[in-house]
Amino acid sequence: MAERFDNLEEHLEKFIENIRQLGIIVSDFQPSSQAGLNQKLNFMISGLQDIEKCRQQLHEINVPLEVFEYIDQGRNPQLYTKECLERALARNEQVKGKIDTMTKFKSLLISELGKVFPEEMGKYKAIHGDDAPS
Amino acid sequence: MTEMFSTLFSQNEVQGPPGSSSLGFGPGKPPPPLPQNQVSMAGQIPPQLGDEGPALRKPGAMNEPFYLLRELPVGNELTGNTNLITHYNLEHAYNKFCGKKVKEKLSNFLPELPGMIDCPGTQDGSSLRSLIDKPPVCGNSFSPLTGALLTGFRLHTGPLPEQYRLMHIQPPKKKSKHKHKHHRLQDPLPQETPSDSDPKKKKKKRDDDPDRKKKKKDKKKKKNRHSPDHPGLAGSQPNSNSLR
Repeated sequence: MAERFDNLEEHLEKFIENIRQLGIIVSDFQPSSQAGLNQKLNFMISGLQDIEKCRQQLHEINVPLEVFEYIDQGRNPQLYTKECLERALARNEQVKGKIDTMTKFKSLLISELGKVFPEEMGKYKAIHGDDAPS
Repeated sequence: MTEMFSTLFSQNEVQGPPGSSSLGFGPGKPPPPLPQNQVSMAGQIPPQLGDEGPALRKPGAMNEPFYLLRELPVGNELTGNTNLITHYNLEHAYNKFCGKKVKEKLSNFLPELPGMIDCPGTQDGSSLRSLIDKPPVCGNSFSPLTGALLTGFRLHTGPLPEQYRLMHIQPPKKKSKHKHKHHRLQDPLPQETPSDSDPKKKKKKRDDDPDRKKKKKDKKKKKNRHSPDHPGLAGSQPNSNSLR
């Protein structure tokens, strides 16, 4: 999978470099540069063809739209990954806290109910005793 | 409060005030026996709306003192009780992104990309969002330009008008922090007399020399970048030597 990305990255870098050189030629054009300009234009088209071929290998790759917002704001997209991981961990801890609290509450409730309604709780445990979750 | 609950479940009748029977929490009367139709219907009670949990117990269990007692849900192996980052083997990724400081700017992620990429894309119409909202026309094949088509790319000689000069704008690099520090330290001492101690002079010279070297290096880099013969990012074009 990394090879497909490396291939695309290489083509994109060559394409960008070609465009940059094209811009330099155009910024101060001389008649002798016409041949080079034509060559660069055809390189640009061949670069687009190469990028088009890479597209077929990457059609199953999905990118979250939020990453595009980071890029459009000029921010590092790795910050999105970082924030996702941090949010996942925070949420994980939050849910774990809820589970722990509910488990403690359940055990406390059963013990207190057992003190107040011993017969009823005995029947309840007889029904749920085998399938009570740990 | 416990007496109220015990009266609900106990078979002994407790004589309460006459008005209390109208509330439904009257003396501990056992519920009237259901007619046969209702019993069979109760046995066929379909899952209630939003009932994602377990089904009701069988009709025989309804005679137990507990009404509408449900089966306990089957516990899932993966819950919030487990550390999901270790479960999905994301420790390395977590340490990589959250352990170290990730730089804010896009240019830190793509240092070799030319141009002003740290500016918002909406300013110059180069946002990815606009590409999604208004996708370009696709599907046509890419064919090389022939001689006749290339005649349309004959340009006038000379430099571009200033309004179109965007290529040469590069973001300022922040390597000058140390330079500024040295300059700030030296600014309050603009002219030192010869009577100053030698170490100060030596420090000054030492400070000047690396600054000069850095400036020369920057100039060289700028010249090299703007020349078409620059090796570039991942290899140069095969015929780049034809450019002068």
